[in-house]
Amino acid sequence: MTETRETFAGLSDWQVALWYGMIVLSTAIFAAGVLLLVLKYRRGRDGFRFDRPLHRLGRAAWIVLTHAWIRRRDGIAGAAHLAVFYGFVVLFIGTSILAFQDDVAKPLLGWTFWEGPFYLGYSLFLDVFGFALLVGLLVLIVKRIASPPRLDYGRVDGRSGDYNRARYAAGDWVFVGSLLFLGVTGFLLEALRIAETDPSFETWAPFGWLSGQALQAVGLDGQDAADAHFRTWWVHGTAALAFVSAIPFTKAVHMLVAPANVAARNEVAGRRLEPLPESPQPEDVGVALVSDLSPTHLLSLDACTKCGKCHVACPAAATGYPLSPRDLVLDLREQAEGTYGARSLLGAAPLYRADDEIVGGAIRPETIWSCMQCMACVEICPVGIEHVPIINQLRRRLVDRGELDPLLQGTLETIYDSGNSFGEPKRKRGRWAKELDFDVKDARKEPVELLWFVGDYASLDPRNVRISQTLARILHHAEVDFGILYEAERNAGNDVRRAGEEVLFTDLAAGNIEAISGCEFERILTSDPHSFNTIRNEYPPLGGSWEVVHHTQLLLELLASGVVAPSRPLGYRVTYHDPCHLGRYNGVYDAPRQVLAAIGCELVEMPRNRDNSFCCGAGGGRIWMEELKQGDAPRPSESRIHEAIELGGIDYFVAACPKDVTMYEDAIKTSGHQGEIELRELSELVLEALALVPAQVAADEAGDDEGGTTGTAGI
Amino acid sequence: MSVLVVTEHLQGTVRDVTRELVTAGRPLGPVAVAVIARDPGPLAAAVDVEGVEEIVTVAAGADEFEGDTYQQALEALIESRRPRVVLLGFTVNAMSYAAAVAAKLGLGYASDVHGVALEGEAVIATRSFYAGKVSAELEFPGAETVLLLLRPTTWPPAEGTGGAAVSSLAVEVAPPRARHVEFTEPAATGDVDITQADVLLSIGRGIGDADAIAQFEGLAAKMGATLSVSRPIVDAGWMPASRQVGQSGKTVKPKVYLAFGISGAVQHLAGMKASGTIVAVNTDPEASIFGVAHYGAVVDLFDVAEELEKLY
Amino acid sequence: MRTVVCIKQVRTLGDEVEFTDDGRDVDPDYVDLALNEWDSFATEEALQLKERLGGEVVVVTCGPEESEAALRRCLAMGADRAVRIEGVAAHDPIGVAHALAEVVRDEEPDLVLCGVQSSDSVQAATGTALAELVELPRVAVVTRLEPGDGKATAHRELEGGLVDVVEVDLPAVLTIQTGINQPRYANLRAIKQAEQVEITVRQAASAPAASRVRRMFVPPRGEGAEMLGTDPGEVARRIADLVKERTA
Repeated sequence: MTETRETFAGLSDWQVALWYGMIVLSTAIFAAGVLLLVLKYRRGRDGFRFDRPLHRLGRAAWIVLTHAWIRRRDGIAGAAHLAVFYGFVVLFIGTSILAFQDDVAKPLLGWTFWEGPFYLGYSLFLDVFGFALLVGLLVLIVKRIASPPRLDYGRVDGRSGDYNRARYAAGDWVFVGSLLFLGVTGFLLEALRIAETDPSFETWAPFGWLSGQALQAVGLDGQDAADAHFRTWWVHGTAALAFVSAIPFTKAVHMLVAPANVAARNEVAGRRLEPLPESPQPEDVGVALVSDLSPTHLLSLDACTKCGKCHVACPAAATGYPLSPRDLVLDLREQAEGTYGARSLLGAAPLYRADDEIVGGAIRPETIWSCMQCMACVEICPVGIEHVPIINQLRRRLVDRGELDPLLQGTLETIYDSGNSFGEPKRKRGRWAKELDFDVKDARKEPVELLWFVGDYASLDPRNVRISQTLARILHHAEVDFGILYEAERNAGNDVRRAGEEVLFTDLAAGNIEAISGCEFERILTSDPHSFNTIRNEYPPLGGSWEVVHHTQLLLELLASGVVAPSRPLGYRVTYHDPCHLGRYNGVYDAPRQVLAAIGCELVEMPRNRDNSFCCGAGGGRIWMEELKQGDAPRPSESRIHEAIELGGIDYFVAACPKDVTMYEDAIKTSGHQGEIELRELSELVLEALALVPAQVAADEAGDDEGGTTGTAGI
Repeated sequence: MSVLVVTEHLQGTVRDVTRELVTAGRPLGPVAVAVIARDPGPLAAAVDVEGVEEIVTVAAGADEFEGDTYQQALEALIESRRPRVVLLGFTVNAMSYAAAVAAKLGLGYASDVHGVALEGEAVIATRSFYAGKVSAELEFPGAETVLLLLRPTTWPPAEGTGGAAVSSLAVEVAPPRARHVEFTEPAATGDVDITQADVLLSIGRGIGDADAIAQFEGLAAKMGATLSVSRPIVDAGWMPASRQVGQSGKTVKPKVYLAFGISGAVQHLAGMKASGTIVAVNTDPEASIFGVAHYGAVVDLFDVAEELEKLY
Repeated sequence: MRTVVCIKQVRTLGDEVEFTDDGRDVDPDYVDLALNEWDSFATEEALQLKERLGGEVVVVTCGPEESEAALRRCLAMGADRAVRIEGVAAHDPIGVAHALAEVVRDEEPDLVLCGVQSSDSVQAATGTALAELVELPRVAVVTRLEPGDGKATAHRELEGGLVDVVEVDLPAVLTIQTGINQPRYANLRAIKQAEQVEITVRQAASAPAASRVRRMFVPPRGEGAEMLGTDPGEVARRIADLVKERTA
């Protein structure tokens, strides 16, 4: 007997015709749904951007096929989803192969291939993957029952359920249940067929064959099996077609939209924010309406599967602020759907008008302002949603209208007037360098190898000034040729941009670029990760493109090349906090760790480290805004100190960012752990390791002015 | 070289600044004090302090201050007496009419003056500019009469009795274009009079946000001190104006003034620098408050507050 | 309703200062510039009145070209027109009032608002002198304003928080105290757009000076405070001792 099976076995001609009719109907509904989605996305502002299509498609294919993003931080769910994904894909391809033969190859070309060894291989393959599908689904179902925190749909933004979140949970169960139903009925079909006909070659479909034997064992064979098969076939077939039609209207849409979003995703999302058009009018600034969002962002909203990874990673949500990135995406999605989507066409609540503003309606301003722009959400989202740029766009319109925290307003005005966030006179910017016992070159006046862009906090905040002086001493000792901009340096603008004042950012950047362009140097050095991010990623489109190195990288260079050498290993037990703007934003994780190793410190990793680092709470301009702490809830920085204390026996909490230094010095006190742990900036430990004690420092500086020294800086 | 002082009074009481003006005016020449009110008699006795040679009453206007009335009265006084120097306190009331008189009559003018001297015929006034960072000597060339508004609490108030002769000047005063209706206390006040406290714990912008207020209120209570604030705290709505120390607030002279997180804007200093012992805690070593404080510490005020809590 | 707001671009000094050759003023290199804080409250008050009652807001300043930045800040907040008067001597509020008076008379406003004082001079005189020169009623140190028909009710804030409620005939000149409102944010986009607006520049007619700076100098600093160290515990102990000692 040829190894194959009869398609449409037991169906009369009109039934087959009905079946094809149903296929046409279901495909039509599916297509209509997809069309509605595309029309919804096209409502966005400006066109759909898809540059370098081959690169994007290739990259997306790799990410989707390897499940690289889905597998992060939850290996089990990742593996299970991989099984479901490939199970579904293989089964889909399997059906397509069959359809191809029956509807194209056989009638048009007279070619049949779905038989013999091909059929056997096909059967085996599909059976294995079908089984994998079921296993994967079951694992995911068990996980869902176990109720991990990230699947908690409770709202944190203070709104009670206008949109009943129970529908979300129900939808999730229906989705996974439908897939399970299709998988199980598929196997049942196979089992019934095998129970009916029992061809020996069907051992190549092991699971189906085993099930078939089981059915036969309970007496279900022959005509009974055929009847059951007939009924099950229609059930399975109808369910499958219904599933397909429903794809664009349900959670299942992520199967299409998520890979599309991965392909469309902006690779520098968050790191380099989008500029404004030339001579912007108020309606060009930021986003107020759904139609102000870009088509890509509108697309991304539908990619969300409510996995909750962003919610769990978000420091604002963890601290009780009224922000959950997941809820933000879902609220935006609800509004987009309720304005332009299928749901608005069908008149299903909640409905929105095209001129309904996002903030002040679906989303509260406090939610938008809670964000620290730390990128934890964007980093971990398996489908590539860009929460941070979206929040930033919403902020821009609020700022343009003057709807912002008075403290933030005051700081922005101060920055505009004095070029720094402290309101200090411009002349004070270089004062820290003048207090040193050696001259720090003025990069405006003479060529230097390294132009050190110091930043506001590192120039003007007393604690951070000590660190800048420490770093300067190390560089001087290492005979590094460096200089600073003195009064010509202004706030780099990173946080101004992230707070939503886009034009002020451009103004600051233009000023800095002009000042830097007038200098002669090889590379830019910065000790401030925020400045590092903006100069490296956001200044180039504005005309300032240079090589930028962070001081942790430079220190590593000096140590690794032997320019400086520690006199002895420090032997401290330390933990290291990855700054958001250095780590997640720019991928610099290893250099600081290698520096710690080189100076003989034992590094005990924080539980949340590297790309999972937990923001100190200062980012996104939040350090300039009123505290949102609720009652006794610990501040983000305090949580982090608790986290470090729990590691046990840590001598030093090591920071590499001036804002982190400020936040964590405070947090050590306010969290009640003063005396149990101390903060050191990386430069301070390096200085100690180089054993640059006062005598050594004086020896270096002898020959300069006073020769007296203020002692080992900062320690 | 006569000196004319204009009395500042409120709700039937003569304010201290008037007596300080007498002290300031004496070295410049014979001092006459004018009292302008609907019924100036009862107030005249209160300004009869040592150093006052003459008291001139002007019965005009209402019981309470109205700028137009005082302007017309002062203009009449100047026309009739031709003083060399006219002294007023640098007060809210003076701001309402003094510069108008100076503009109308072409007088020499300066306010917030903390030093006055005669160099021969010339009047030289010293005042600050740029938030107290610099001082300047002002001259008034060609001015027959110089009108100066002196910074309160700079000079000690004159005391005793002067046995001054009292005269009166009749002035026809047109109905004022800005009329006093009533006084009100701003909401949520009337609780504490900070001018009566022996120890003031005073907080400023350095406390960060409103949540810290409760903490400092508690600390003040433990220490037996009264909590006072600088202007930014009142502007932000965190404490009522009755707690404000400063030029536009209250002038205080407690035995001990603890300034936590106050930078020492000159408007604030004006309200407290006569305090017995001033201790300033501020993380900015350059803060102006250290210029008037007797003791200072460049430390975090919350740290000190925490330590103080333990001691009480 | 036409409101004229008189503003000033004020100077702030850092810790270092040098003087001009004639010793009468500070070297401009050592100075930072900003819109006077009181004037942003005055401008905001004028804008709120415009939003309620219609009309226009005109901002006027006396100063050199760089003071146009302060005018543009007000334009960015929503003011309609700006005028700069140059050739006015600094540090003499009566002289400034004379210069402003010319423009105010030409504008025939329904209301004139000034800040109570400027943060760099603290004379608190310009508004009051201006009122006299344009022969308008005036109220100084206003913390609340309710305009009515031909009259307005203004709250004057006296020392110590007592409020004097005053009824004043309109048009009038009012000097505005901080805290009366929350000045709106002038975003940079609006400031950049304001840079395109033409500012009328006028020359001041010469006026007699009511005062003149003879000499400007850094005052000798007192001995300064006795520093108590940087250990919070020690500082707290010393404070407690002082309190006990001085109130015994």
